[in-house]
Amino acid sequence: MITFNLEVILNKIQDRNLHHAVKLRNNTHDLGDLYHHKASLFLKKYEAYLQREGENIDFGINRYLIMLETMLQERIQFIKTGQYSNTSFEEVEKSVYANPEAMVSHMHGLVLAQFLWPDQYTRFLFFSTNFHKYFNDFCTYLEIGGGHGLYLNEAIELFPQARQFDLVDISQSSIDLAKGIIDNDRVNYYHKNVYDFDENEYNFITMGEVLEHVEDPLGLLTKTVSLLSPNGVCYITTPINSPMLDHIYLFNDEEEIRTLFHSAGLQIIEEKIAISDNKSTTYAKKNKTPVMYAAFLKKI
Amino acid sequence: MDRIEILRQINIIFAELLDNQNIQITEATVAYDIEDWDSLMHLQLAVAIEKNFEVRFNLQEIQSWVGVKDIIDSVVQRLN
Ligand SMILES: C[S@@+](CC[C@H](N)C(=O)[O-])C[C@H]1O[C@@H](n2cnc3c(N)ncnc32)[C@H](O)[C@@H]1O
Repeated sequence: MITFNLEVILNKIQDRNLHHAVKLRNNTHDLGDLYHHKASLFLKKYEAYLQREGENIDFGINRYLIMLETMLQERIQFIKTGQYSNTSFEEVEKSVYANPEAMVSHMHGLVLAQFLWPDQYTRFLFFSTNFHKYFNDFCTYLEIGGGHGLYLNEAIELFPQARQFDLVDISQSSIDLAKGIIDNDRVNYYHKNVYDFDENEYNFITMGEVLEHVEDPLGLLTKTVSLLSPNGVCYITTPINSPMLDHIYLFNDEEEIRTLFHSAGLQIIEEKIAISDNKSTTYAKKNKTPVMYAAFLKKI
Repeated sequence: MDRIEILRQINIIFAELLDNQNIQITEATVAYDIEDWDSLMHLQLAVAIEKNFEVRFNLQEIQSWVGVKDIIDSVVQRLN
């Protein structure tokens, strides 16, 4: 039986990294009932998938801690150089997306981060509470770079009868993970670079944390717009000052993101910004603290 | 370089990073005592200390620092 328990996860992290566990406890202690409900729904599905694969939550926690370590290394580089360490998409594709060892660690790590990091939960909650304004059962849904599948899973939870659910991702490891967790035959998975993806137009497109993974984010946005129906809406999130092993394009502030949306022919309907560790804007600017940016957008 | 001089130089680094020229740290200061000394600041501190003393630390060592005393220990070990 799967019995999701946040406390169990935090205790296991505490055994390995006390400082970090203290921070996570502070981060999550007052997020409320909805948080516990959503986290429990998704992480139970995750644990069920792990169990089918002959693993358990320890596997996920190990991967999470590895990801954290890699992230700290990247952060140190970023503090020293002011740049992300990778500049080439081709390199990242080879070393990460097409490398199961790196990608499995990274993606499983991100699954837990979705509910352990407040900025990640903020963007999920923003999606979950507003999605119904832009979607209904007659709509089609596409997710670009779905990764662990949290957002597609939520879209299905909210509109199980909707017309179509598609996911495109360049990494087979991500597709395996999303497919395993979502566990729903209605979803069509495409293992492709989104630039080579040419299905129909969609009423709704989610593209979470992909823009910073390409060399030319304007090109990716233009591609996204081409896949969106005339009255369609998309949900796009991307971080500022957030070094990771597969991040290429550095956004320095939210204005750069807004300008890019405008250049791609997108208009912001509503947006959300969350600064890591609840720092002030001035503090974040000076210290290049990671900032999460999310928006619902439509064509201009 | 003795511990007092190392502490003096680390104090300057803290003052710059925290934007607070009046800050007075001691060997007994721990991260918990300073509001903005969080995990990101911890890494910024490590990078600044490496640069100032021209030394290198590995991530494990950096993560093991609880307070100023641990930092001074690490610097002393590198400089000797
Ligand atoms: C950081 S994960 C994002 C996961 C999830 N969407 C979220 O918001 O947390 C980035 C995902 O984008 C995929 N990806 C990166 N570049 C891509 C591309 N050019 N085409 C399709 N997928 C891509 C990666 O394989 C990975 O699964």
